[in-house]
Amino acid sequence: MNAQIFNANPTIYVSQKSSRKSRFEAGQSLWVDDDDDDDEERSSDADVEPIDQDEIFELIRSISDPEHPNSLEELRVVSAEQIEVGDNHIVVEFTPTVPHCGMSTLIGLCIRVRLLRSLPPRFKVDIRVQPGSHQSELAVNKQLNDKERVAAALENPSIVETIEKCIETAESSRRV
Amino acid sequence: MALDLPFSLQLYTDLPGHEDCAWQVAWNPAKPLLASCSADKSVRLYSYRKDPYDPSKLSFSYLTTIQTGHKKTVRSVAWAPSGKSLATASFDANSAIWEKSEAPEDGEDPSESEEWECVGLLEGHENECKSVAFSGTGTLIATCSRDKSVWVWEVKPDAEYECINVMMDHSQDVKCVSWHPTEEILASASYDDTIKLYIDDPDEDWFCFATLSGHVGTVWSLVWAPRGDYLASSSDDLTIRIWRRSAKHAWEFAHQLKGHTRSIYSISWGTGKGDNLGWIASTGSDGKINVWEISESPQRDAARATLSSRLVASVSSAHGVYDVNSVQWCPRSGLEELLATTADDGSVRIWRLSSTALVSDRECT
Repeated sequence: MNAQIFNANPTIYVSQKSSRKSRFEAGQSLWVDDDDDDDEERSSDADVEPIDQDEIFELIRSISDPEHPNSLEELRVVSAEQIEVGDNHIVVEFTPTVPHCGMSTLIGLCIRVRLLRSLPPRFKVDIRVQPGSHQSELAVNKQLNDKERVAAALENPSIVETIEKCIETAESSRRV
Repeated sequence: MALDLPFSLQLYTDLPGHEDCAWQVAWNPAKPLLASCSADKSVRLYSYRKDPYDPSKLSFSYLTTIQTGHKKTVRSVAWAPSGKSLATASFDANSAIWEKSEAPEDGEDPSESEEWECVGLLEGHENECKSVAFSGTGTLIATCSRDKSVWVWEVKPDAEYECINVMMDHSQDVKCVSWHPTEEILASASYDDTIKLYIDDPDEDWFCFATLSGHVGTVWSLVWAPRGDYLASSSDDLTIRIWRRSAKHAWEFAHQLKGHTRSIYSISWGTGKGDNLGWIASTGSDGKINVWEISESPQRDAARATLSSRLVASVSSAHGVYDVNSVQWCPRSGLEELLATTADDGSVRIWRLSSTALVSDRECT
């Protein structure tokens, strides 16, 4: 990991109180659900009531920033307004704190892993940086949405370790 | 459903089994065998034979699992033209060659032997291997990697494999390598949105003689027309492009196919039936399989011929909600209408293309 600090002094915002809970639980395999019965149950539950952007936001707001002791919500990296929910399709945009942020790919990976583990497999997820918010916008977007690159990154123990640390806060806040 | 299409894809068999996402499927060109590879680091082999009660049908059955010993995802699997060797390419940066163990000379029943052993390890890439392919004669192997390089290996007697060239022409991750069916021309596709073509200079080394640009997204998959005069590519830009050979070492854009809503991960070009250039099957993240019939205008002057295509069959949610990662037509004579797919659900599915009408006025004459 690069020890360089990309934004030494970020602005921190107050996070909102959680108004609702997501129905989706964590702990599933990244690609294939281990427990088929459980999966079917959750899928049919979810079919009854469609999810909305608040629910997706709820899943990712408490993810920790890789270089600050704050959540992505507190740093305004993610917000409910930057989430778009379509028919089994979710687009999450996030705003790096500085345009040269070298952690952007890692932040995007954390969001992707959190959603992969939480949502039923029928959702296709696209993750992008907010247009104009990063100097390597296209490169970051391309990497985050290349399924092969993502799969390979998730077989890299040091990347996985960092991601686990960042999303731990999101997973534990959900259990309260 | 598109009821006006002349063919339909019928699900023939579902072969579940991988514990994680299944990346690629490969039909053995010589024997009734099928291989699939997965993020679970294994290769599964399936066999098929005529159903004893209904000879017009095939029955597929699980044969064996090769625990490859690769330390990461097995991304690609390919058979040698002889059907004797199998190659695997893994995110652990290595490729390996597998052959069925010789039946013991005084063994009990040689037909029961289904042990596959690693006869060669192709080491050298710096990071994830993405694709492996045998040349048409089986004497050369190509591999490619996120390290931006394409390697050509020579198959020597006694299962010796020697790297004879490394090409560093791409500026990014190389996703796919594919050999011309009859000539020693190699094609590679990349995250840098281009396709590169290579040949061997007998006095020098292998070199890149053409770059095909036009896609505006990662090029995931390449396939040659069975006759070798066209090359097709599929991309993140939601198109399939067909490139025509305009001279011995010149290739140009000829035609474009559209019909997917997310990345197109895999294409396959089958011989089809009738007097045309065959069928292109495509699939990807939208979970759809499309089959297109490709035809050439009557004049046989290749430089002027115009290509035409029509969608002849389509199936949505081919593996339920999952991304479909790979599609391949059966290369064996008499089985041209069979198609295999693999997906994130870890399963292999076999499909059969059949005519939707008893008497179709669109049938080729």
